[in-house]
Amino acid sequence: MTAPDLKPDLKLHAIPDWASVIIRFALEEMAVPHTLVKKDFDAGDLDSPVYRAINPLGLIPAMETPNGPMFETAAILLWLTDRHGSLAPGPQDADRAAFLSWLFFTSNALHPAAMALIYPDRPAGEAAAAAAIAVAHEQVRARLGLVEAMIAAKHPRWLSATEPGVLGYYIGTLVRWMTMLPPAPHAITLTAFPALHAVLAAHEARPAALRVALADGLGPTPFTNPVS
Amino acid sequence: MYTLHYAPDNASLIIRLVLDGAGIPYRTALVDRATRQQDSAAYRALNPAGLIPTLETSFGPISETGAILIWLTDRHGLGPRPDASDRPAFLKWLFFLSNTAHADLRQLFYPHQYSPVEAHPGHAEIISRRMITNFTLLDAAARAHPALFAPAQPLAAYTLALARWSVLYPKGGSRWFDLAAFPAIAALARAQERRVETPVIAREEGLGPHPFTAPVHPQPPEGSAT
Repeated sequence: MTAPDLKPDLKLHAIPDWASVIIRFALEEMAVPHTLVKKDFDAGDLDSPVYRAINPLGLIPAMETPNGPMFETAAILLWLTDRHGSLAPGPQDADRAAFLSWLFFTSNALHPAAMALIYPDRPAGEAAAAAAIAVAHEQVRARLGLVEAMIAAKHPRWLSATEPGVLGYYIGTLVRWMTMLPPAPHAITLTAFPALHAVLAAHEARPAALRVALADGLGPTPFTNPVS
Repeated sequence: MYTLHYAPDNASLIIRLVLDGAGIPYRTALVDRATRQQDSAAYRALNPAGLIPTLETSFGPISETGAILIWLTDRHGLGPRPDASDRPAFLKWLFFLSNTAHADLRQLFYPHQYSPVEAHPGHAEIISRRMITNFTLLDAAARAHPALFAPAQPLAAYTLALARWSVLYPKGGSRWFDLAAFPAIAALARAQERRVETPVIAREEGLGPHPFTAPVHPQPPEGSAT
C-alpha cells in the first residue's frame, strides 16, 4: 500500500445512499484518503454550472482526480483499482478478462435494470409505470440469476466471500436499493440468490463497510437486510 | 490467436474496427442470428447473456464490447495505460458509451424489453431525446480529446457504430438522428472512411461504400444483422 498523502488528491461528490456510496465503500476498503463534497439534490446542486463542468450529465457520483474529473461509477471503480492495485484483478492478471466482462455487465445491464425497477416512470412515462415495473422486475431477476450462476460455477476471487472486491460493493448497493425501494411485490429477494447472498453478507460485515454504513446511516446490514 | 464471435453490423463491428485498425490478427466466427445461434448452449457457455460480440482469448472469453475494448487497450497499448494522465477521460467516456449511450439505444431497438406495446411511441420519444443529449456530449468529448477519439481508436469506433445504427434502426422507427448536427462526429466518420481497413470491413459485413457518412441497411455475404 502506498503511504497516504497529507492532503487527499481525490474529491468525491456525494449524496448519502446514492451511487457515490459505491465509490465510498471502495475508497474506505482501500484506505485511500479523499475529501467528500456533499451535494444537496433539492437545492439544485447537480444543475449548477460548476457541477456540470465536472459532470456534464449532472449525475452522482463524480470524482475529481489529479488528472481531471471522472464520472460513471464503474469507470471510477476501475480507475481506482488499477491505481491502487487492489479489490480487482489488474491488467496483467489472468482473471482480468472475466472481471471486466462482469463489471460491464453490472454497469450496463444490471444497473440500468435496477434503475428501471426503482423509477418505472422513466422509460415510458407515468401511465406505463405499472407495466414497466413488472418488465423491470423480470429483467432484474434474470440478470441476478446470471450473476448467481456465474458465482456458483466459477467461484471468482473478484466476487467472493473470502476477499473484498469492487464488484461486491457495486452489486451489493444495487441489491440494497432493489430490495428496499420498489413497492411490493416488485422488490427483489436476495435469499433467492444464495451464492450472491453469501458474497454480499461477507462484504457488508467488513470493518470498512461498517464505517461507511454508519457514516451514511445505512443500518448494520446494508446489503442483506437493508433499511432506509 | 483471438476469435471474434460476430454478426454483421452488430457490436462486433466496433471490435473489428479496432482490431483491424491496429493490425491485430484474429479469426472470425459467425453467430447466425437468423437461427438465434446466440441463444444456443454452446454460445451461452461463452457469453451467458447471449450478446454479441464475444472475444475468445488465451485467458478465456470476454463478453461486453466495453470490456473487450479495455482489455485490448491494455494488452496492445492502443490507448492510455492505467497510470496515464488521460486514463480518467478514456474510462469515463468508454463507460458512458457502454452504459448510457449504447444502453439507451438498445432501448430504442428492443422497446418490448422495457415497456408495454401501447407505451412504445412515448418511450421512443423519451429515449431519442436522451440519445440526442448523449451525442451532444460525445461530440464535445471528441473535440476535447482528439487523440482518444482518433479514427480506429476504441472511443471513436464505438461512437461511430452508435451513430450508424441511429440512422438505420429500428427499421420503420422515426428518424431522429442527423449526423450533420454533430460536426466532430461527422468529421470522425469521414476520417474513419478514409482508412484502408474500412472498405475491407464494410465488404465483409456488407455495409455499403459509406458505412458511417451515408449508412444503408447491410447486405452481408454471410449471417444476419438482426
